[in-house]
Amino acid sequence: MASPQSSAQVPVTVLTGYLGAGKTTLLNRILSEQHGKKYAVIVNEFGELGVDNDLVVNADEEVFEMNNGCICCTVRGDLIRIIEGLMKRKDKFDGILVETTGLADPGPVAQTFFTDDDVKARTRLDAIVTVIDAKHFFGQLEQGSEAEQQVAFADVILLNKTDLVSPDDLKKVEDKIRGINRYARIFRTQKSQIELDAILDKGAFDLARILEFEPDFLHSGHDHNHGDEVASLSISADRPVDPDKFQKWMGALLQIKGPDIFRSKGILAIDGAPRRYVYQGVHMMMDSDWGSAWKDGEARSSKLVFIGRNLDGDNLKRGFEDCLK
Amino acid sequence: MKLDLANPAWQQTLPPARSLATDAPVAACAFSRDGNTVAFALGDGQVRQMPADIKAAAPDAAPPLHSGVALALIGDPAGDGFVSGGDDGRVLRVALDGTATELLTQKGKWVEHLAAHRNGAIAAGVGRAMFVAKDGEVREFGPHQSTVAGLDFSKDGSRVACAHYDGITVWSIGQVVLPPRRFAWRGSHVALKWSTDGKFIATGTQENDIHVWRVAQATDMRMQGYPAKVKSLSWTADARFLYTSSQPVFTAWPFAGKGPEGKPPLQFGDEGAGLMTVVAAHPTAEFVAGGYDSGELQLGDIKTKRSVVLKMADGSAITCLAWAPGGFRLAVGNDRGDLLVIDLRR
Repeated sequence: MASPQSSAQVPVTVLTGYLGAGKTTLLNRILSEQHGKKYAVIVNEFGELGVDNDLVVNADEEVFEMNNGCICCTVRGDLIRIIEGLMKRKDKFDGILVETTGLADPGPVAQTFFTDDDVKARTRLDAIVTVIDAKHFFGQLEQGSEAEQQVAFADVILLNKTDLVSPDDLKKVEDKIRGINRYARIFRTQKSQIELDAILDKGAFDLARILEFEPDFLHSGHDHNHGDEVASLSISADRPVDPDKFQKWMGALLQIKGPDIFRSKGILAIDGAPRRYVYQGVHMMMDSDWGSAWKDGEARSSKLVFIGRNLDGDNLKRGFEDCLK
Repeated sequence: MKLDLANPAWQQTLPPARSLATDAPVAACAFSRDGNTVAFALGDGQVRQMPADIKAAAPDAAPPLHSGVALALIGDPAGDGFVSGGDDGRVLRVALDGTATELLTQKGKWVEHLAAHRNGAIAAGVGRAMFVAKDGEVREFGPHQSTVAGLDFSKDGSRVACAHYDGITVWSIGQVVLPPRRFAWRGSHVALKWSTDGKFIATGTQENDIHVWRVAQATDMRMQGYPAKVKSLSWTADARFLYTSSQPVFTAWPFAGKGPEGKPPLQFGDEGAGLMTVVAAHPTAEFVAGGYDSGELQLGDIKTKRSVVLKMADGSAITCLAWAPGGFRLAVGNDRGDLLVIDLRR
């Protein structure tokens, strides 16, 4: 079940993005703005950061594989340790920002917040923010899977350096991003200029706010199937869901397809239940809880979203339909 | 003067104690080698010293020695003061008057783990490296594959074991340089204690297990069934039992004879106080102290399986425990900043 979400939990924002996309510029912007808040910043290398009042912690991205036979259950042990250490400080923080290296897979960072009980008790993953260099995005996609993964994991995307490309090229980049991840919010920026409200305290991983965060969430989109490429797809249903069948199906699915499924979310109308059942996962790890109540006369429809690689839309659809009453 | 939990006095009144409130979480506590002084490492960088005698006046707050959190603290094995480590990357030798001299500094790293041997050696985990300071000389060992998450000396002080990802590394720290020994077990190891007889090394893992190696034979065993990570391990003075945190009661694995294989752990104590966060075996007798996430503190006797509550639950998790060398005083710190010294003589 879900970890308790209380105000005592410090929100953590993860900043990802390819080398040179504008992460450090964004970070400096967050830190230097007059917002009266205090942040702990976990960076990979000490750079040009160093703003009074904020704490900058140097981390080596120490990823380990959980000893549970699951190859995709990789976790940032350094993050567990650093968060534990930060909580021993007399001075408390309003938030923690984690900057990953340009070539980092955001999976281990996200999974750390699903895995470790101490981290879950003290902090909550707020959102994954990915900064993209509009000019070099296509080139970066060619260079490896990292740029694609960073888009796939994102809740918020800063499509940055828009001044360096033509409107046509910008449209192509945005279409490509949408092809990978239809559910992230995209902001077009120059020099990482963005209202901080747009990226901080979004509650994107807060089960209670899944609906609120993604207004398009319940609008069905057409399903992509690009084979090897990362894509997103959604499945919806109007008949109630059999909880036992769903659990069995989802469990088996994540067991087998977990490495390929970067993010998954869902709102379910469970047969006979007065409230929505909400869940979300990163690879094989999942949190779930009861959400808000269905209103009288409201159409009780369910919806699942997957972002991943090699997603077989027809197969997933059939699997989910077998879970319906 | 005897610790006797069967004595009705133990069941009726809490023992005399001195309690000081600060506003910084307590990361560690320790007694000095001679037992006359106790110190607490705090979340504002202070190393707060006071007389172990609870009737003596406790001095005011000290200026912070570390610029962030004082994360680790041990009694100085080569003097009557202390050695502290902080998230400013410094290891400090702290004299009784509060003055500090730097033993080593590594900018940008945290010093989370310190251990001492009575021969005067100090071991510090600093990032992925381990440093040993002895007789004015500092030597570096490593780097390990990940940050050192626990370390301890062998009984004779000739070796230091370090916990990290996928196992532990045992270094010979004598003048003759020998290759380190690796003991592998997949996953992240988050705590380490070498048995008091030198035969076993125990770790707590990220997967809520205990892993124990027989050092000579290099065989290993795994104990499962904990609801949380076991971050506190404590061997009894006679090495017959290994106490582990993260259970609602005292949990001791029997290592006498053929070892714990196929045997359940000994469990005793008052349930219902939450989950044990710290456990500390008595330095000489068959007693054990356990602190809980609820703030409760219990003292147990493995022989009679009796236990008494020394401090009621107040919601502030106990973060550290330390026995005075003689075993008649117990230092306790919690995450709210309470510094407690309990006098157990009755």
